[in-house]
Amino acid sequence: MRVLRYIGRRMLFIVPQLVGIVLVSFLLVKMIPGDPAVMMVGPMASAETLAKLRTELGLDGSIMYQFWIYLTNLVQGDLGTSWQTTRPVLNDLFVRFPATLELITLSLLLALLIGIPLGVAAAYFRRSVVKKFSDYYGLLAGALPDFWLGMILIYFFYTIFQIAPAPLGRIGFAVMTPSPVTNFLIIDCILEGNWQALWSTLGHLILPVVTLGVITAGPILKMTQSTMERMLESDFIRYADMCGLPKSVVIRQAFRNSLPSIVTIVSVLYGFLVGGAVLVEIVFSWGGAGQYAVQGVLNADINPVLGFVLFSAVLSLIIYLIVDLIYFAIDPRIRG
Amino acid sequence: MANETQKVFDTGQPVLSIDGLNVSYPVYGEDPVQAVRDLDLHIQPGEIVGLVGESGSGKTTLARSVMGLLVQPGRVDTGTIQFDGKDLRALPEKQLRAVRGKDIAMVIPNPRSELDPLVTVGRQISNVARAHLGIKRDEADQMAMDMLNAVQIPDPDRRFKAYPHELSGGMAQRVVMAISLVCSPKFVISDDATSGLDVTVQAQVLDLLRALVRSHNTAMLFITRDIGITAHFCDRVAVIYAGEIVEIAPMQSFFENPMHPYSVMLLAAFAHNPTLRAKWHKPLASAAPAHGGACAYAGRCVHAEDHCRQNSAELRELAPGHLVRCHFPVERPL
Repeated sequence: MRVLRYIGRRMLFIVPQLVGIVLVSFLLVKMIPGDPAVMMVGPMASAETLAKLRTELGLDGSIMYQFWIYLTNLVQGDLGTSWQTTRPVLNDLFVRFPATLELITLSLLLALLIGIPLGVAAAYFRRSVVKKFSDYYGLLAGALPDFWLGMILIYFFYTIFQIAPAPLGRIGFAVMTPSPVTNFLIIDCILEGNWQALWSTLGHLILPVVTLGVITAGPILKMTQSTMERMLESDFIRYADMCGLPKSVVIRQAFRNSLPSIVTIVSVLYGFLVGGAVLVEIVFSWGGAGQYAVQGVLNADINPVLGFVLFSAVLSLIIYLIVDLIYFAIDPRIRG
Repeated sequence: MANETQKVFDTGQPVLSIDGLNVSYPVYGEDPVQAVRDLDLHIQPGEIVGLVGESGSGKTTLARSVMGLLVQPGRVDTGTIQFDGKDLRALPEKQLRAVRGKDIAMVIPNPRSELDPLVTVGRQISNVARAHLGIKRDEADQMAMDMLNAVQIPDPDRRFKAYPHELSGGMAQRVVMAISLVCSPKFVISDDATSGLDVTVQAQVLDLLRALVRSHNTAMLFITRDIGITAHFCDRVAVIYAGEIVEIAPMQSFFENPMHPYSVMLLAAFAHNPTLRAKWHKPLASAAPAHGGACAYAGRCVHAEDHCRQNSAELRELAPGHLVRCHFPVERPL
């Protein structure tokens, strides 16, 4: 019951939060120099054409007026049109976001698989090779740029060993793509029973997922390690040792108490990667949401940018809600 | 409780024998800090020994040495710790874990931070029972429930499912007692266990602890800073100063005839007699204990003479079972 009431209260605040986010990002995007009308008509157009287009786009009104127009369209589910793709932003985002989410979700899973066991082991075996290794790993993962690692992986596994597919998108050219239902390719392939496409999709996912996963494991490793170290030195773990509980039980106990911090860093990373994966997306021609937004910014194409911000914001709010629910499940002190 | 006739323990096979124990903490670039020095202590089955001393005197270090859980970088340099015929120092970690919590249990202070915040207290008790006795969950839960009853927690059915943050300090202390006693240990170390509690709650908890320990004929090392508590609580009293036992005696002998100036000073500090306090308290005394060729207490002693500053003192038996480490034992405190 408490949980339901809590969720309800959170939902109440979502709409004003979103309006605020859209307003701020609208103003920020408008501050970027560059006139979309000029970009759209090209350098050879006459002054009248330009003025006409500006009126059509509502660019001659005040900025608050423009925001009002955007907001009223938004309420009707219209995120505007991208003049670059000439398609409604909403349609574009429904393709682009799943592409990015598929990539970063799998990457985070890989990062968890690397970071958590390594972090726990490094915290427990204080003077071991594992600890040394994880120290260097954390340092390297923090220092290496992800796109660089991506290019190195492409060089070795595509160019030299030729065991990875070409870094050109999410699926091979020669493969029948499944009909888009969710636009998560893995899910669509399974829904359709298209195993050849699934195989190709998974193959294309490997390198970018490894790239992002290996780099993102760094912060997860660090957080796991430092929290576990703190927990292993805490009073209740010392007491568990005094009670002679088996090592495995003591470690599990410390890990459970470390979970809230780990969940927090994962949620932060997830929100960050939606836009932060853009360089890796570019390297692998992924066609993800980050790329879409960056192209929008570079070409004064404001609607894709705002749409991206809005989608990311909703996603973040959902993630934080889920995180809070996980806290609820783990920690009786919050439930209390 | 105080009028219970004092138990006399024969000098049979002690449950715990500490001989010549030296524990030190290395300090980078300096001489190591000697926390426990040539300490001998023998505790008989069922005996309650009070260990009194100020902070930093080595009480907790002694307790942790027995448990084999010294805080890094502390280490036992020499000495033997025999428990129930086993040399604890020679025992591998895995077997030591089997001893901890089962044969030697520890009752600790600030129990609310010592309990796992994410697990119900009933489970925490039964987990210890399960780990040591190899029994099924149901059986362990039943034992935990019995223990909650034994430590007289009100409404034990509800408390079983409570989390540590939902308990008061006194109740959490009872839970910790339940955990330490659930496997019926032979020996319990209580390390300043009630220091965080209100005086009234403290008395209840101590009475209960004593009754439980007595009823199982469990031996106990009762560590405290409050010498007053030991008067009600213990069969023997040991006073520790700068890592050395300076006086150890049967309870009655100790309180009727304390012989070490430090013991007298401690008693004076708790007494409501200003003359006594003034006589034994040395203001601005240098606390730095001198070792090697001097009595460790010489710097703070109101009666120290040149002889004390030049010769270290040995423990001497001055009355039956009453050992004192002093060149000039006190004869009349007032």
